[in-house]
Amino acid sequence: MKKPLLKKISRISQEEQIRLLTKDLNIIKKQLKRGVNREKIAKEKFRGEVSQGVDREQQGADREKLGAGREKIAEELSRLQSDEIVLKDGQLREGVDREKLAEEQIHIRTKAMESTFDGIFIIDALKPDFRIIYANPSFYALTGFTKKEVIGKNYFLLYGNTENSLLVKEIKQTLLQGKIFQGEMLHHKKNGEKFWSLLRITLVRDKDGTITHYVGNKTDMTLMKQRNLEIEVQREELLHVTRVGKLAEFVSSLAHEISQPLTAILSYAQAAQRMYAGREPQLQEILQYIINDDQRAAEVIRRLRYLLKKTKPSFEQLDINVLINDTITLMMPHITAKNKVIKFEPSANLPSVQGDRIQLQQVLLNLISNSLEAMELNDDARDLLIKTSFKDADTLLVEVKDSGCGVPEENMKKLFGHFFTNKPDGLGMGLSISRSIVEAHGGLLEAKNNTDRGATFYFTLPIILKNDNEQC
Amino acid sequence: MPNKLFVVNLSNFKKRKEMPSIFIVDDDESVCRALKTLLMTYDFDVKTFNSAQSFFDTVAHDEPGCLLLDIHMPGVDGWETQKRILTSGSKRAVIFISAEKLDNAADRALNVGAVGFLQKPVNAQTLVDLINVSSKN
Repeated sequence: MKKPLLKKISRISQEEQIRLLTKDLNIIKKQLKRGVNREKIAKEKFRGEVSQGVDREQQGADREKLGAGREKIAEELSRLQSDEIVLKDGQLREGVDREKLAEEQIHIRTKAMESTFDGIFIIDALKPDFRIIYANPSFYALTGFTKKEVIGKNYFLLYGNTENSLLVKEIKQTLLQGKIFQGEMLHHKKNGEKFWSLLRITLVRDKDGTITHYVGNKTDMTLMKQRNLEIEVQREELLHVTRVGKLAEFVSSLAHEISQPLTAILSYAQAAQRMYAGREPQLQEILQYIINDDQRAAEVIRRLRYLLKKTKPSFEQLDINVLINDTITLMMPHITAKNKVIKFEPSANLPSVQGDRIQLQQVLLNLISNSLEAMELNDDARDLLIKTSFKDADTLLVEVKDSGCGVPEENMKKLFGHFFTNKPDGLGMGLSISRSIVEAHGGLLEAKNNTDRGATFYFTLPIILKNDNEQC
Repeated sequence: MPNKLFVVNLSNFKKRKEMPSIFIVDDDESVCRALKTLLMTYDFDVKTFNSAQSFFDTVAHDEPGCLLLDIHMPGVDGWETQKRILTSGSKRAVIFISAEKLDNAADRALNVGAVGFLQKPVNAQTLVDLINVSSKN
């Protein structure tokens, strides 16, 4: 980068200098010519005078005069020459000043390029082999390659293995088509370590539009990716807990539903056994088999219930606003992907509540997911609002308001029951679990349709009155 | 696993001479009918109700008889029914029967003055023994 710029600058000043110097040279030549002419005239004069028979003294004097004239010419000449030198000096100085200025700017730009976090590299586009002619220190730090391994080498060799050959092909094609490349990718460091980077390659053209250089910019995305990954993992964990909770609730409901007929079957069989007591040995045997199998089924259910026993909530002091914020963070990628907008209006100075963090997050996650689904079919419906407030002095209110399709009046009552769902792939457990969680926290979960559009699901939580200690 | 399927608390037994009738309150009709069939083979006089409300509407609080009471029912549930029985001053022996697996249901049942708690499906002999013990007291 440094050299071409310098060349350009010095080329300009050289041209300028040559032009100025040629001009000066012409002036000198003219003056010299004039001097020669004078000498000629003098010589002719002298000859004429001689031929006219002028006396010798006069001749001698004339000769002296001529000599003086010659001296004068020589003097003039040297003056002109020294003038020329002065002139030349000035021009040179001016050029040096300009060069200095340009160099200073280049220096700043180079420094800037060297200090940026992004890995920057320049590829010579005039040669076919994607030769790197410059890379900044961040590039070396990011890739783990040394200057020796980078400069003059084909950029794509840094990708090394064939794993990325498709990617390399895509980048090359994009560049050869004269297009800017940008993409997020997993890069390999020299030591094989992988890192996420955002790669952007832009084109540098000359006056004629020919692409002379490719300028690449590599941004390390590892931290960003990691943060996103962490969010994803947390969300997955929460979803897992929710799923397990749903399964437990499902099994519990199922167990209840199956236990009822099992009770009836057992009672009927035992009644029949008694009715035919001492008679009908074959029937007695059959009835005993029915009883045994009934009890076997009951045992299976008991074991299932034990396996999926709901974990006891662990209560702690919670700031509900912080909890909501955390949950929104977890849901953000989801919300953005669905092109929805979430707004959180926390009430300031809310006291803490006593609750199970995971369980309350589950409730929030469930309500937010439901709201998103209610708004899914309608692109106009984008706004999701979460609000916290005081319901009264002892109770907090959390509202999740969507602008979706709302809840049909006839479904309002069934909404929180087991197995109620209007989603094709729904289990109908989410709201019933959410309600039982809120109730276990001493609150109430309810729903209402908004006057304009959509529905609001809201729940209350009792406030623990603070003693002297600050809320956590 | 600590699975209290059968719990008896003698201190909760109410003194009475005999137990002529058994009332069953369960929202599951099939359960009602089956238990009635079973208990009739033991010569009990059995009446069934599909809700607590119809039980209260039909049976006077001082009418003798042991109550088999389901816990999970729509409307007035088992716990609420027992509370009403207690507040009415009735000395009725109550046995809770539930299909729900509740961790502390047995303890809770005894705490609210019930004779016992049985997990569905109920074994005939266990049930009858409990009824007999409670009617003897």
